[in-house]
Amino acid sequence: MSGTSERLAVRDFTVRGVNGPVPKLYGEALLRAAHQDERIVCLGADLTPATEIDLFRDTLPERFFNLGIAEANMIGVAGGMARSGDIPFLHSFSVFVSRRCYDQVAMQIAYPRLNVKIVGFLPGLTTILGVSHQAIDDIALMRSLPNMTVIEPSGPEQMAGAVEAALAHDGPVYLRMARATAALPDDFSSRPLVRGKVEVIRSGKDGLLLATGNMVAAAVEAAAILSREGIETMVANVATIKPLDPEIAILAKSCGTVVTAENHSIIGGLGSAVAELLLEAGVSVGFGRIGVRDTFAEGGSTPYLRDKYGLNADDIVAMFHHVRRR
Amino acid sequence: MTSITSSKTRGKTRDIGELKAIARELRRQVIRLVAPTGQGYVQQGLGAADLFATLYFAELHLDPADPIWEGRDRFLLSTAHNTAVFYAALAARGLIEPSTLKDYCKDGSPLEINASERLGAVIEATCGSLGQGLSVGAGMALADRRHGNDRRTYVMLGDGEMQEGQVWEAAMAIGGWKLDNLCLIIDDNRMQADGDVDTVLAMEPVADKWRAFGWNVIAADGNDIPAVLAALDAARACRGRPSCIIARTLVGKGAPSLEGIFGHNMKLPAEAAERALAELAEEISQ
Repeated sequence: MSGTSERLAVRDFTVRGVNGPVPKLYGEALLRAAHQDERIVCLGADLTPATEIDLFRDTLPERFFNLGIAEANMIGVAGGMARSGDIPFLHSFSVFVSRRCYDQVAMQIAYPRLNVKIVGFLPGLTTILGVSHQAIDDIALMRSLPNMTVIEPSGPEQMAGAVEAALAHDGPVYLRMARATAALPDDFSSRPLVRGKVEVIRSGKDGLLLATGNMVAAAVEAAAILSREGIETMVANVATIKPLDPEIAILAKSCGTVVTAENHSIIGGLGSAVAELLLEAGVSVGFGRIGVRDTFAEGGSTPYLRDKYGLNADDIVAMFHHVRRR
Repeated sequence: MTSITSSKTRGKTRDIGELKAIARELRRQVIRLVAPTGQGYVQQGLGAADLFATLYFAELHLDPADPIWEGRDRFLLSTAHNTAVFYAALAARGLIEPSTLKDYCKDGSPLEINASERLGAVIEATCGSLGQGLSVGAGMALADRRHGNDRRTYVMLGDGEMQEGQVWEAAMAIGGWKLDNLCLIIDDNRMQADGDVDTVLAMEPVADKWRAFGWNVIAADGNDIPAVLAALDAARACRGRPSCIIARTLVGKGAPSLEGIFGHNMKLPAEAAERALAELAEEISQ
């Protein structure tokens, strides 16, 4: 041991804006589920605290497997375990469980329709770690795999609901998760998540804002701004991007103007999925997408990145006006 | 979860003469399957016939009356294109209906050139994308150990397939976990799509690589059935380490007119097929 009596406390510089302990809502939800279902096993790839599975590791070590920095192997191992009756939840950052091992996910999980839950953290532009760690195409990739369900909760309030929804579905699910970055408010309460159903958060008849993940809060903020201008928009949380709720076509028809918002590329994600649905349903409305506009980003704080790449409430409002003016 | 015990007898026969006869019949079947359409892998099938005969008739715990019996040993063909000999073995052992072989590689048939689960659970995983089978086998062996199941997992890789990085991710994990219920067989036929593996990418020393990853390495002549039996026995007897059998095989083995010819996607004209069948028949009469 070193002679120093006071050692520097180990803290994680990648977590920003923390005032107090960060709640591990995903980790707690997974552990609750595992206590109730002994088939659940937990796989990680050297990102144990960052994916909140330290709780699982410390409580159910005989069902916890760290595969090291080897995501492709982790996907295959999960497939083998699922074929043996286990329900693997596997974890890494979103980029590494999607783009990095896409073929393995396709062949060893999606094609055989195995009951594996793929859990990715750091969605979109929520990390200072830069372009290598920013998942801007994971929804597009996962969505285009047959048999795959794609779920992104709106925030801490739907983390537990996302776990429950994933478990309720017997088949492969991609969970796109963002950790809470601050202590929870006193009035915090969880909201359920129903696979394949949009959740109307705010009613309105002048337009429809469809958002997923951390863009739901931005959409709610945008609706408030528009309301002050006398425009009442409906806001719907699209926590299941696949299968997409066909109800969206009906909502869009009644509202006229539609803007989608996602922490992801505008290509292949929520916006694309909604456009496909509306066009095929014969719903012709004004339509615009908010998201990363076909560009790679860079390392930076989340507020900085959201400003630079146009992922704020103001951007949604501007897009809404742009679409309405056309 | 209760553990699964393999109550069935391991294999069907260890009689060398019988196994050799089975291997010869598998070879004849490979020729018959591939020749009519020209689809399928002839040289690799002939080369691996002794391995398939030994595995399916002497080694694997299985029940032809119940091909998806839960206690069965798992066999994953990671080089999933080597189906002519694989399907021939499944049919000969009664795990698939022999009459379905006539549909091999035909449109609509589940007997695809790359084995897929459309054929049912006798295909333990869909592995045509090379490098993936060992990881799936690792997951099965890991689950079996945790649940206390005594069934074993066997994975066959091609030697060229070792160029895939994922193989070494799996090698490291299985070695680290000391999964002695897993046996890897490398079909070391020295051939890949672009030719001789050593001219594509030098891979030696292969045995040292596996040893360095914590494996019990057994070198064997993959066309010598007693040697293959002994290697599988040694693998099963090894505790605390996974085993890797490096089985040296000769492409085209058994038909002298084809032996040693490197042709990954080799067509088999009718005349060559007839000659090979005649050679294999001669071998039987000897």
